[in-house]
Order: sequence, then C-alpha cells, then structure tokens
Amino acid sequence: MAGTLQRQPTVTPARRLAWRAGAIVTALAITTLFLALSGRDPRLLADLVVRSTVGSRFGLEDLALFLTPLLLTGAAVTVTGRIGVWNIGAEGQFYAGAIGATAIGLFLPGPSWLVLPLMAASGIACGMGWILVPALARAYAGVNEIITTLLLNFVAGLLTTYLAVGPWHDRVTGALASTGRLPVRIPEIWGVVHWGFPIALAIVLGLAWLTTRTSWGYQITVGGANEQAARYAGIPVRARILGVMLLSGGLAALAGMFEVAGTVHRLQGGLANNFGYFGIVVAVLARGSCLNVLPAALLMAFILNAGIVLQTQQLTGSAVLAITGLVLFMIAIADELAHYRPVTVRPVTPRPATRAEVRP
Amino acid sequence: MIDLLTGMLSTAILAGGVLALAALGEVLAERVGVTNLGVEGLMSMGAVVAIITVVATPNPWLGLLAATLAGAAGGMVFAFATVIVRANQVLCGLAVTFLGLGLSASIGHDYAGVPSPATFGRVPVPGLSSLPVIGPAFFGQNLPVYLIYLVLPAVAHWVMFHTRHGLAMRAVGENPAAADAAGLPVTALRFWYVTLGAGLAGAAGGYLTLTYVPVWSEGLVAGRGWIALALVIFAGYRPFGATLSGLLFGLITALSFVGQARNWPIAPAFLNMLPYLGTIAFIIVPVVVWHRMRRIMAAPAALGVPYHRDVR
Repeated sequence: MAGTLQRQPTVTPARRLAWRAGAIVTALAITTLFLALSGRDPRLLADLVVRSTVGSRFGLEDLALFLTPLLLTGAAVTVTGRIGVWNIGAEGQFYAGAIGATAIGLFLPGPSWLVLPLMAASGIACGMGWILVPALARAYAGVNEIITTLLLNFVAGLLTTYLAVGPWHDRVTGALASTGRLPVRIPEIWGVVHWGFPIALAIVLGLAWLTTRTSWGYQITVGGANEQAARYAGIPVRARILGVMLLSGGLAALAGMFEVAGTVHRLQGGLANNFGYFGIVVAVLARGSCLNVLPAALLMAFILNAGIVLQTQQLTGSAVLAITGLVLFMIAIADELAHYRPVTVRPVTPRPATRAEVRP
Repeated sequence: MIDLLTGMLSTAILAGGVLALAALGEVLAERVGVTNLGVEGLMSMGAVVAIITVVATPNPWLGLLAATLAGAAGGMVFAFATVIVRANQVLCGLAVTFLGLGLSASIGHDYAGVPSPATFGRVPVPGLSSLPVIGPAFFGQNLPVYLIYLVLPAVAHWVMFHTRHGLAMRAVGENPAAADAAGLPVTALRFWYVTLGAGLAGAAGGYLTLTYVPVWSEGLVAGRGWIALALVIFAGYRPFGATLSGLLFGLITALSFVGQARNWPIAPAFLNMLPYLGTIAFIIVPVVVWHRMRRIMAAPAALGVPYHRDVR
C-alpha cells in the first residue's frame, strides 16, 4: 500500500474553510515573527490590538467605519467576479464617486434630505462613467479589463488631488490639499458611525438576493461559468458583462460618496486609502458569494484597524499593505492545496497466468 | 527648439528604459504561460534595494545587481506559488504587488528623501554623441541604456525565435500538455523564466532609482509596473515590441515634462495622466479599429492557466 496525493476537482466548503483558517494563521504567525525580530513585544501588541478593536466602544465604532466602504468595494469586486471579470479599478471608481458627490455637496445649496440623495446619485453616475470605457472594451472587444480598470486608478487619484489643491481648494481655512468642509453630512446613528453602515449592509444583502435568486443573477452565473454555452442558450453575455461592470462601478462609487459625506466630510488626496484594493481581498475571501462579503469585510476591517494600532508603535502604515499581501498570498496557496487529498493506492497483485494465456 | 527636442528624446529614452526592461521581463514570463501581475511590487522592491545598496557601497552596477536579485527572489516566491503549487496567478500576482509595495515602503522608511549617492553617469560615444538632436539622446546615455534597448532584446529575440530552446519555451506557453508529451520540462521552464522575468522587473526598479528618479520615496514606481504589463499586450508578446513600446511611452512621458517646462496652458495633473490614458488607448484602439490586430496581439494560448499533468 502506498500513499499519494491526488487532486480533487471540487472542495467541500468545510475543507476550504479549514485550509483558509490555516493560511490566515500562518500569515499572522509570519507577521508576529517579523515584529518579534524587529524588537517589539508581540504579546503587548496583540493585547493593544484587541483592546483597540473589539475591546472598546471606540474600537468598535472604528471597525464599523472601516467596514462600510469595505462592504461596498468588496461587493463591487465580487459581482464582477461572478461573470468572470476582474474589476481592479474600485479604487478609481471610489474617487470618481467622491468627486461626483463633492461637486453636488459643495456647489448645490439645499436641505440635506434633498442634497444627500443627489450626491449619492451623482457619485454613482460618476463611478459608472469611470468604468464605462473599460467595460465597453471588455464586453465588445475582449480587451483585458484588469489593466484598463487599474490604470484608471492613477488617473482618478491625480484628478482628485488636482481638484483638492486646485479649483476646489479650501480658501477659507487654507487647509492643505483639501476642499472646504461639505455643508451637509450623513447623520450619525451610533457614535461616529453614520447611516452609510446600515445602508451598505442592506445593499450587500440585496445583492445576495439579486445574484442568487433572480434570473438576471442566474444569467450572470452561467455567463461566468461558460461564456460559449451561455451565448448558445440565448443569454446576452456581452450586455450582462457591461451591466455587471457598471453596477460594480456604482457600488465602489457609493463607497466613495459615503466616505466623503459621512466620515471625512471633505475631498482630499489619498481619500480612498486603498479601500478599492482591499475590496479585491474581500472579494477573494468571499469567493463570489455576496453573503460571504460580510464576514470577509469584517476580517479585513479588523486587519486595517489593527494596522492603526501598529502605526502608533512606530510602524509605517504600509506595513498593513504587506500584511494584507501576505494573507492574500497564503490564501491563494491554501485554496489550491485544499484540492489535494491523500489516497492510498493498492498495488495490483499479479494473478497467476491462466492456461489459456500460457498456450502459444 | 533643437535643445527641446534633444532634451525630450533623452528623457524619453531614460523613462522608456524603465518600462522597456520591465515589459521585456514580463514577455519572458507570459511566453511560458504565466501572468505575473506582481511587476509593480517587484519594481518597488528593486528600486528600494538599489538605493540601500548604493548607500552602503557607491557602485551603481552593484545596486543594479542587487535590485535584479531582489526581483528574482520575489519572482521565485511567486513562481513557487503559481508554477509548483499552481495557485491562482491573478491572486498571487496581486499579493506580490501588495507585499512588494508594503515591504519596500517599510524597509525604505529610513531612506525616504535620501538622494542616491551613486548613479549611472553618461558615457558619450566619441564622435556620434556630437550629432545634432539624436547624438546626445542616443549616444550620450549611460551604459545600461544600450543593454536595455539593444543587447537584452536582441538576445531574447534570438533565443526565443531562432533556437530550439526558444521553441520549447514558446510551446510551453501555447500548449503545455503537448510540450509535456514531447518530453519538455514544463514546470522547470515556467519556473525559471518567471524568475528571470521578475529579475528584470527588479532591475527596472533599480534602474529607475539609479538614473531617472535618483531618490527613494513611497509610491515612487507610480503604476509603471502596470503600464509595463499593458505594454506587453501592445507589444504582441515580442521582445523588440516591448522595447519599442517602452520607448513610445517614454516619449509620452517626456511630452508631459515638456508641457510643464514650457508652461502649456494645461494643468500638470492632466499632463501626468497622459501615460496612463495613453496606455489604455493603445491597448483598446488597435483591436477596435483594425480587426486583424487581435491575431497579431494574441496572447500565448495557455496564458494564465496552471498546468496539471493529470487533469485534462
């Protein structure tokens, strides 16, 4: 009897979860090792992280503030993933949404019950416009959407900085590289947590229903599983790709609107804070299921919140990016390794030749 | 006017060299069927390692070597995950980008704003460098320029299209099952070419801080890795295509500098957007306008697909 590893085509959810938990623990162990090697006390840091995330009211409020944009950008990348498309440009659409919202907020005076929905609509329209060219190129000319959506992130970042230091610059307080404070704000419901949080939760739940319980969602799934078969079955795959990508751009843009109208209250460079990129990680963790976006975004929000603590301990903010990369890397490996199972191979015992075979 | 053109060409060649080198590396990886989306992170690592090296020992060649090795080391990690474990290439590539950007910013924290103490000096070719306009741009550059624009693409082109080994390499990217059946070492070819390509990406980052932007700061690479990835498509996965498209984008970058220097009535922010917008236009417009480009720009057939010998 000899043991060997065999690749299974499918993996049970429990098995995958176990492997992924192992991957996350490994990534955190490597991080801890690095921190310990650089002369910091990991136990002290862990204690600090727990106390300032889930262990205190302020920590929980911060967690919810991180969670709000992550839910939306995570959902944005998840919905495109269902049709086999990568939207790596959530960061840019986030900026576009923030710009669209700020344009209304700064220059359209009015009561907040009127201005806030208009800001959201304008932001979403800008986000959809931002992804329109990559979406059309992907759907109708087959141009690689990973690169086109990503490159637009840099354009959006430049545009935001230009507006914040240039034409929309705050001339009253003279704040550096930022627009003036928006006259309207999303009302808070719990401490600093604003209405964007429950709305984002509701949107994710709505998307879960839309993607799994409607014929539109079914067409997306089939189109993502096998484009040729879907087309043969009469599903307008190209129109669906376009639709899903526009939806994705709108979701990421809404995250931008929430961030500018609920949390930061002004447009400034670096506003998106990598939320678009972390949305990719959330989507990878969620594996195409909008319901899974909830726990995935929670984990990511926890990592980001822990990163703030690390920053108070003389670590650069970019350490969080490295830790996230490590988590992502380990999960990619674990997802593949989960396919392998040990199987025992019984050697074939040679049976004695029969008389018929012996005869010449 | 002449001065302006000379300056513009010189800048174009410097700025384009970074892109050409990174794109050439990615051509090698994608020709064996592996998309390495980690170029941005690898370049960032190369850039910071080059600075740290020349701060310790002021020799730009050592800096470039260290950057190459750093890129190759990152490439080995990536290749281990994607070629040996056969994990998802998009995920691993993004992870390498995040890791590279985060790590380089962390280890480069103490070097932020420190100008590179050693850079590649200009080595004018006697006679030729005094030619008007093109002389200083083409023959008055630093030595790695010739390596990037002539030696490396020529070697890569010759190996890829005129040797048996090159045929094997391309076969692995087109149809790994057939290549495997013919007895070619699919895994080894993929592993080493991905590593080599990542080494060139690291070198591109090092070249960036040793010539063109000789000071380290976070976010220094600024999307050049992603532009290089797009150039590979535009270049039709060919070495000289990568070099030429690198030069073309160097020209676009130089154009935005000229605009800022001459006070064109366009805000610098918009001029800085040119390379990104230009890249997007260059990968979309050809396939839309001229249908045959889809075949010319076609990717290797097995690009991005992990090869499992036992799964058909």
